[in-house]
Amino acid sequence: MSHNPNAAVHAQESVHHEATPNSKSFVTFAILCGMALLALFVGFSDLGSMKVVASLLVSTVQAGILAYFFMDLRSADKQTWLIAAASLFWVFIMFLFILTDFLTRHLGVL
Amino acid sequence: MAASAGTVEGPVAHHFNNMGQQLATVRFGMWLFLVTEVLFFGGALCAYTAYRIWYPKDFEAGSAALNVGIASVNTFLLLTSSLTITLAIRAAYVQNRAALMRYLLLTIVLGSAFLGLKAREYYLDYEEGLIPGPATVMQKRTVMEHGKEVEKDVPVSKFNVALEEALKREKFKGEAGKDYDPQRVQLFFMFYYSLTGLHVLHMIIGIGLLTWQLIYAQIGFFDHQSRYVYIEVMSLYWHFVDMVWMFLLPLLYLAGPHTAGQAVEQFKLALGLAGGGH
Repeated sequence: MSHNPNAAVHAQESVHHEATPNSKSFVTFAILCGMALLALFVGFSDLGSMKVVASLLVSTVQAGILAYFFMDLRSADKQTWLIAAASLFWVFIMFLFILTDFLTRHLGVL
Repeated sequence: MAASAGTVEGPVAHHFNNMGQQLATVRFGMWLFLVTEVLFFGGALCAYTAYRIWYPKDFEAGSAALNVGIASVNTFLLLTSSLTITLAIRAAYVQNRAALMRYLLLTIVLGSAFLGLKAREYYLDYEEGLIPGPATVMQKRTVMEHGKEVEKDVPVSKFNVALEEALKREKFKGEAGKDYDPQRVQLFFMFYYSLTGLHVLHMIIGIGLLTWQLIYAQIGFFDHQSRYVYIEVMSLYWHFVDMVWMFLLPLLYLAGPHTAGQAVEQFKLALGLAGGGH
């Protein structure tokens, strides 16, 4: 493992990174509020069995915007992207196996 | 010394090679924790999905009995708290202690308002009797006795009675035993209490951590610019809690038939702003 021999306790150093400016945060907030209103609009509408699909689609886009801008994924390193993608992949596998079981055994046919 | 634009300055702990590595490690630690959280809530939502596929009508009936007015207002409270914690990161970054404390306090207040409304919602559910379980109440029912129809007091499920009253009040079109099975609606309510309960638990922990950071901000801990990263990782956790709510809202509250007018009315009634009972 590489180790910097010059690194001392409480050494003063600097690195280039900038926290999100407030103006951009307000724009993200406005978009998220718009998406929340859309989620409620879909929830209050009568779309039948498509309502849950439309609702989850809106929620997924909303969560994506939150992660990309507010959670700063847009300026995250590859390691962070990898771990975020891995968590979704594991959840996908969990859902896949359980839903596969339903789709293959509960179709209501003999 | 003030940092130049886009540059972070501060102390580097001895076990890090440089500032970049230190900041990246702090962020990565929180992201690793969030992966465990994604799997935790993912498992719970997976179980919900399985039962929802099995009992769609019963879950819709259960959802129709919930207070969508409080849930709608809570959505915007959480979103606003996500904004204020993001503004707190910037305040810590530009070394504005007063603004940092103001935004941390605002986040705590908004989170507490969410919990206050949630507590009111739980209380109303409890008051109505919408708690799944084997509890019974005595009700007059027509029963067959020695070949004759007689009216007498018989024990009936407390939850089922409460559910029927709640659905009647919300003008839900459907009959118990025909369009939905109250026993299966109890299952929906188990998911409702456990999922929202876990979310509430995360919010209580988050508010505790925010209070801790507020105290640290007061004593000057965040006066080193690089320590803005601790506010940033706190925000990652808080945003994740917000993200969970984005899925709980449609899966629990909006699963059943609701209208915007009904949501407004429910919210007013819950806060005692309109006449009549809940």
